[in-house]
Amino acid sequence: MGIMFGSELMESIIALIMVSTFMVLGSKQLHTSVSAFQFQSFLLACIAGIVAFSTGRIDIYIVAVLTLIIKAILIPYLFVYVIRELKVKREVELFINISPSLLIGGVLVVISYYLVRSIGNNSQLSSYALSTSMAMVLIGMFFMITRKKAISQMLGILIMENGLFLAAISLTYGMPLLVEVGIFFDILVGTLIMGVLIFRINTTFETIDTDRLTTLME
Amino acid sequence: MDLTYLFLGIVFTYLIGAVLSVVLHRNDRFVTYASFISSFIASVLGIIFSFSVMFGDTFVIDIPGSSILQFGVSIDKLSAFFIMVISITSLAVSIYSIGYMTEYFGKKDIGYLGFLFNMFILSMILVVSASNAVMFIIVWELMSVISYFLVIYEHEKPETRKAGLIYIIMTHVGTGFIILSFLIMASASGSFDFGSFQGIGGQLSPALKDMAFLFALLGFGTKAGIVPLHIWLPYAHPAAPSNVSALMSGVMIKTAIYMMVRVFFEFLGADVLWWGILLLVVACISSLLGVMYALMEHDIKRLLAYHSVENIGIILIGLSVSMIFMSAGQPELAAFGLIAGLYHLINHAMFKSLLFMGAGSIIFSTHTRDIESLGGLIKKMPWTAFFFLIGSISISALPPFNGFVSEWLTFHAQLLSTNLSNNLVTVLVLGSGAALALTSALAAACFVKAFGISFLALPRTEHAMNAKEVPKTMLAGMGILSFMCILLGILAFHVAGILDSVSAPIVGTGIASTITSGLTIGTVPSFAGSISTTWIALLLILFMPLPIILLRSGITSKYETWGCGQPFSTARNEYTATAFSKPIRKWLGNIYRPHREIHATYANSHFFKTSFKFESHIEEVFEQYLYEPFIELTLAVSRSFRVIQTGSIHAYLAYIFAVLVILLISIITGGI
Repeated sequence: MGIMFGSELMESIIALIMVSTFMVLGSKQLHTSVSAFQFQSFLLACIAGIVAFSTGRIDIYIVAVLTLIIKAILIPYLFVYVIRELKVKREVELFINISPSLLIGGVLVVISYYLVRSIGNNSQLSSYALSTSMAMVLIGMFFMITRKKAISQMLGILIMENGLFLAAISLTYGMPLLVEVGIFFDILVGTLIMGVLIFRINTTFETIDTDRLTTLME
Repeated sequence: MDLTYLFLGIVFTYLIGAVLSVVLHRNDRFVTYASFISSFIASVLGIIFSFSVMFGDTFVIDIPGSSILQFGVSIDKLSAFFIMVISITSLAVSIYSIGYMTEYFGKKDIGYLGFLFNMFILSMILVVSASNAVMFIIVWELMSVISYFLVIYEHEKPETRKAGLIYIIMTHVGTGFIILSFLIMASASGSFDFGSFQGIGGQLSPALKDMAFLFALLGFGTKAGIVPLHIWLPYAHPAAPSNVSALMSGVMIKTAIYMMVRVFFEFLGADVLWWGILLLVVACISSLLGVMYALMEHDIKRLLAYHSVENIGIILIGLSVSMIFMSAGQPELAAFGLIAGLYHLINHAMFKSLLFMGAGSIIFSTHTRDIESLGGLIKKMPWTAFFFLIGSISISALPPFNGFVSEWLTFHAQLLSTNLSNNLVTVLVLGSGAALALTSALAAACFVKAFGISFLALPRTEHAMNAKEVPKTMLAGMGILSFMCILLGILAFHVAGILDSVSAPIVGTGIASTITSGLTIGTVPSFAGSISTTWIALLLILFMPLPIILLRSGITSKYETWGCGQPFSTARNEYTATAFSKPIRKWLGNIYRPHREIHATYANSHFFKTSFKFESHIEEVFEQYLYEPFIELTLAVSRSFRVIQTGSIHAYLAYIFAVLVILLISIITGGI
């Protein structure tokens, strides 16, 4: 682990990622959420870059570049496009208000810290990264539950994915390149398909409010 | 080594048949020949193979694998006996199918059926030769699934789909119980190899042993069709094409008996008295109720299906009496009971397949399964009638045909219970003899009805009027099994000897020298009774021509059938199947719970009826009082679970989230 995880730089970037997660959770505007997500992805790309620099492995460089291009540029652009085209109401609509959600988010972070400590870890920093990623997964899921718009569900799942990415890169310097590329491809195509589906939902039901989509019950 | 090649030859011939069926499926005629001639050749190889194992040593092929998943084939005399039964039946059915499938030309995909047909027989052969519980479960499920697809071959009919659904649910529940039973045994032996299961009963605690027995009984009983697990038979057998029902009823349900013998005798040791008694009671109820419901049926294939329930009961009577003797420490008597059961098993395979093929021939030329709309077929289809009659005589247990021999043996096995020290058990077994007697009598009545109403008298409908004799291949298939019925009857002394060599390793003692002498078979220990069907047959052949010669001199005048010499007689005043079974319906009214409704519409006065409608049906007791409440209960429980099915995506996500967080917290608290 040595150089890279020992550095203050890494710790502060991970802290910033946590902050960006709370930004996504706490913003009242869809655009702000997307920007926060963009920021988070950019930070992840930075982490991947640092890991690549300290290990000198080419494949992690590629992963860092891919993260930057796909997660920090392409996907946020897609979000903005969908929001603009569908003329979605800018305000987020939610089941649980912003301040209680932030509180619950805090509780989730505490749970994940305790969890990672109880698993028992060797290096202090990778446990730091691991608990952050665990918190991101939980918060992403919580985000999906409490938001009504289908776009928010999309955003939630991407935050969860970012969490997994952080866990992978902090524990094992990322997955094998082939797997990593596959995941990127998955996310991109998945996002595209979700975007298309949101368009379809909009034209069929005249809303993308998932709260109304309850006829699957029967 | 030659046997290895022979066995692989059987397997590959069936596989080739299956592949050819798929490849050639565009041409109906080609594919019919290709698939059924393959299965015919494979059946011939199977008969040769089974005979060489039966008169030789146990045959084993081990396919290397891991310690848990050791696939392999192990064929001892019992397996060989079953391969013989399967092969003889499939040989006849293959020939029959060549003609029978012309019915489906241009309507259905013959290749699809040919593929399933070959795979079905192959799976049955593998079921009786598997040497490992895991492999057994795989081929057993294969057999179940293929037979399901065969049942729903005519899936465009809604009642066929319903039949298939009932069948697949029942058979899967049964497999579940089988797996439980195997797991209990494997937990004690530490391996899934059947070899390690041998005598495992001694290592299990009594409670586990009883559970293994009960699970095996439920699991295999479902496939065999014992009451009250029989409800799929009267649906599945009529729904399948007749050649398939011949195989399913004739041999598939027997594979369950095969495993019962293995599990009860070889694995668990059959040393608990109440097992035998429980099985005996179940067997008696199955045979009695089976024949009673058969009597009320007018659908010829449903009638035969209920008779399968009855005959499985008779086979199990032999088996259970044998288990009772085993637990009493009387292996010679146990051998006698087992021989009786196995004898009835091969007999039932022969005559039931024959009768199903006969029913198939009737359907082939009249396009109806309702015997009330038949009549007079003996003049249109003399050969079919002849073979059906042989089957009917055999199933009614009249000498010198095969059914007689095995029921005679079963009766004597029951009478031998006087040798038991426990008087209560003796009385019970003797009482079961009464049940068997009643069963045989009712079976005879039922086949008087089935044969008389469909083949004798005058045609009742257009269907019967336009009937034609079926193609020669179909007659040949029925002819082979008719011949086997007679052969197994008159060569009883020889067959008993062969069956003794099958049962001897299972019960530990051979009794061939005691029960056969010359052309006679008798009972152990001291020839309390003996009989020779060979002599009966010879006497019959000698004296049968006598009345014909004597009556030749008389004057015969021709009148219409059953016309009592009256000049005007139509099909409308004939005896019907409903009328025939009426006395029995009244007599056993408590069981049948018959309903009758009479609707009459009147003109002006009470005395002038314009139309009259009569309806009569009987209750399906088990479906109504056992299965329906169970289904209701299941539905009610499921309905109460619907509360959590809100249909909202957020709610489902919240469920997942809540479970995840709870599990994580439990890890934290448990981990620290």
